[in-house]
Amino acid sequence: MNLDGINAAILAAHSAGDGVSLAGLYRRAGDEFVAAGSIDEGCFFLTQAYVYSLEYGLDSAASIRSVLVAHGRER
Amino acid sequence: MDALQIPESEMISRQIETARGLANDHYIGSDRYDEEREALLFSAWSGIAFASDVPHPGDAMPIDFAGLPLLLLRDHDGEINVFQNTCRHRGMILVEEKCNLRGTIRCPYHSWCYNLDGTLRATPHVGGPGVNYDENVDRRNLSLFPIKTHVWRDVVFVNISGDAPEFDDYADAIKERWKEHEKPLFAPGGSSSFEFDVACNWKLAVENYCESYHLPWIHPGLNSYSRLEDHYHIEEPGCFSGQGTMVYRQIEGERGERFPDFEGLSEFWNKGAEYIAFYPNVLFAAQRDHAYAILLLPKGPGRTVERVEINYPFDPKDRPDLSKLIESNAKQWYGVLEEDLFVVEGMQRGRHGLLFDGGKFAPKMDGPNYLFHLWAADRMSSRKLRLAAE
Ligand code: FES
Ligand SMILES: [Fe+2]
Repeated sequence: MNLDGINAAILAAHSAGDGVSLAGLYRRAGDEFVAAGSIDEGCFFLTQAYVYSLEYGLDSAASIRSVLVAHGRER
Repeated sequence: MDALQIPESEMISRQIETARGLANDHYIGSDRYDEEREALLFSAWSGIAFASDVPHPGDAMPIDFAGLPLLLLRDHDGEINVFQNTCRHRGMILVEEKCNLRGTIRCPYHSWCYNLDGTLRATPHVGGPGVNYDENVDRRNLSLFPIKTHVWRDVVFVNISGDAPEFDDYADAIKERWKEHEKPLFAPGGSSSFEFDVACNWKLAVENYCESYHLPWIHPGLNSYSRLEDHYHIEEPGCFSGQGTMVYRQIEGERGERFPDFEGLSEFWNKGAEYIAFYPNVLFAAQRDHAYAILLLPKGPGRTVERVEINYPFDPKDRPDLSKLIESNAKQWYGVLEEDLFVVEGMQRGRHGLLFDGGKFAPKMDGPNYLFHLWAADRMSSRKLRLAAE
């Protein structure tokens, strides 16, 4: 996974105040870490994605939430 | 000099003939300002905004009401709610600017997220990185603090203390008086909504509004068609006071066009119009063809923002033919209300005169004004009695 690429994109989206992109980027990072078995890192990024999905009323909030719940990170 | 030491309960006698007005410190003193915030504004139903400030679902507007940070919200069902604009975590201000919220309110500090009904939805990393709950952080007890809210005549009223009578009881007398005017109101916005930033205590704006005594001097133009003798006092002790006219004349456009009337008004309103200060801080006008409301938003003992909104019985979007007349009407009211500014600012400066003793009411002319002083003094003394009892 090209974490550097995602990192740069995340920083750019933060400075642009682009929450919708942040939701997508964090989701990608989170999913990749989870898929690679790094649950802690994955759930950290998914939490970030969850917050921006909630803030922008995105449908992705529900599915992110269920991943977090499944890993015991949200109730 | 002793006059300044007399407590307000004794300053205001029960008779206008012998009464003096509130002492200087009620206008310039910061301790008094704080006491009055509580006794006159927070424990009553105060106007803080217009419902039309947040026309769409998700619209949010932060409001500083006499130093109290509030958040006005229209939720996704269209209901208006007001909360304290303070995060339950570390007390950060939640919303800084007018905006539309597509989802939840995200605190800009640690990103706790609140639903538009105030409930706490998410607490990211609260139990450590990537862990979003903690046994000791019960979201159910951490909703935003709700403020009792009621919308009437497009004004968003709040009762901060939460223990005032229900709004409909509090406003019973004025609602009864103006029951014929219980009609939908439409605010065109634009130049029909404007504000003045005024160097005076908010009470002086109330006091000036509810008397007609000043009309011939301050509004000579207005008075040429609405003379002093055509005015009457409106006096409802403990609730509101103001003035009425019996010679209201509708504004006319170049081609003689007029605004349509509110439906179903009785004969009286053909020539009648009423201007009422609804205590504490909302100034209303009821007329056959348009209305307005002025919110007095205190910004300190000597500063007040006056927000004016003119509204109509019809949706201006449906009547492009009247848009010019709407503009002229806004201009006319802007001019009239602007004429009052030097007076309220002058009275504010006058209250730095150490020898001023609260003044002398003219019993025939100052009745409505006196009633406001009495209302304020009564609420201040009951506050004092309550504190003494505690
Ligand atoms: S202060 Fe709001 S989340 Fe911390
Ligand atoms: Fe006036």
